[in-house]
Amino acid sequence: MARMGLLVSPELCIGCRACQVACKSWNQLPGEKTKNRGGYENPGDLTPSLYNRIRFVEAPSDKEPLRWLFVNQRCMHCEEAGCMQICPSPGALYRTPEGAVASNKDKCIGCKLCLAACPFNVPRYDDKGKCSKCNLCVDRIANKMAPACAKTCPTGAISYGDRTEMIAKAQKAGYQKVYGQADLGGLGALYAFKDGPKLYGYDEKPQISEMLVFWHKVLKPLSYIGIGGVAAAAVVHYVAVGPHKVKEDDDHE
Amino acid sequence: MNKNDMITMATGFERLCHWSLAISCILLIISGFGFLFKIEAIGAAFGGFNSMKTIHNWLGVVFIAALFLSAAHWLKHALRFDGDDVRWLSVGGGYLSHKVKVPPMGKLNTGQKFAYLMVLTAGIAISVTGFVMWLIPENKQWVLLSFFIHNVSFIMIGIFIPLHLYLGTIANPGTLQIMIGGKVPYWMAKKKHPKWIAELESGKGGHSA
Ligand code: SF4
Ligand code: SF4
Repeated sequence: MARMGLLVSPELCIGCRACQVACKSWNQLPGEKTKNRGGYENPGDLTPSLYNRIRFVEAPSDKEPLRWLFVNQRCMHCEEAGCMQICPSPGALYRTPEGAVASNKDKCIGCKLCLAACPFNVPRYDDKGKCSKCNLCVDRIANKMAPACAKTCPTGAISYGDRTEMIAKAQKAGYQKVYGQADLGGLGALYAFKDGPKLYGYDEKPQISEMLVFWHKVLKPLSYIGIGGVAAAAVVHYVAVGPHKVKEDDDHE
Repeated sequence: MNKNDMITMATGFERLCHWSLAISCILLIISGFGFLFKIEAIGAAFGGFNSMKTIHNWLGVVFIAALFLSAAHWLKHALRFDGDDVRWLSVGGGYLSHKVKVPPMGKLNTGQKFAYLMVLTAGIAISVTGFVMWLIPENKQWVLLSFFIHNVSFIMIGIFIPLHLYLGTIANPGTLQIMIGGKVPYWMAKKKHPKWIAELESGKGGHSA
């Protein structure tokens, strides 16, 4: 199956937050009491029952005294997903045929390692400590429907479809560089940024921690060899040299 | 002392510590292996990954307590090095051939001293980093660093344990006896640990034997 993806276009977003609402509605996530923080952005961060939200960024300049950016923040469904690499429980985080990174709360053991390994600070934990994040509406996409956020977006700021087509679409709209096209093996959520990603709250070059990469690429394979090697060495030693018997009769000191 | 008299190498308490250390360590290695390599069968053997996590965490507490108590017994023997240790290394500890003459050793031989000190270091590292991941999972930088150190220590211990099991059992008949009854015949102790016996006999050994 071709890899599916989301295309997020902040320039089209009007900040209505229908995506936040539609996501809660489809995924049956409760509303939460929030605080007035003196702005329109609300809530201020992802929570265990808020899988996507609109980040409000004020970026005024001389040319554009009123520039307000609305950016849909969510799990990026990375191809090289730090969360999946560090997760110790098989099946807790899994790849759907569409390429989404979904979580299964029954399998999650609540170790919270995935948050440390996620370059986008996405996973949150519910009151039982289980990983709770956007799963690209696994049940919808499995039935060939767009995720709730994309389906509901009135301006087309979030669209869903074949990932290659999403990239082509952004390029046709004039975005030479699509954020996420090649990062981390290719993100499942692509962003059409008019300016540098920093302005929108994203890292120029998102990266998985070097230590995690080094562990997976180098040490993990070596550990098989190391541990298997000593076991083999013990067998060889036993056969070739043999046990060290301390004999009583040659005890004359 | 008669050559067939039994001499105590490990007291009851020392053996209890070592058994707790051994059992917790082996179960930790197995469950840790299950986590690192996501092995369903290992998870199932511990009643699922959820309970394996709880067991792994609390066994870690047993492990570090047993490690400290055990180390308290052998640390003073492991921190003493002299010329015989250099000679021991130059003949490969006699492990490669039974023909070479191995220099006299104390209660621990050079290889044991290095291996035990390595394991003590790895054991402390693996415990501290384990507690970091268990208790402050929100701290990303610490968790990532701990994850790495935890795994590196896991490899070090994972290499040590098969070696230690082999050398402590079939490779050196009579050694396992120390873990079971705590005693070995006097003649054997004198042959394997001449310097320790000499110390004991001169009354400086400081051992309960
Ligand atoms: S954004 Fe974070 S949680 Fe989502 S797939 Fe990537 S690493 Fe995992
Ligand atoms: S919290 Fe759950 S999903 Fe995240 S790494 Fe741990 S087991 Fe995996």
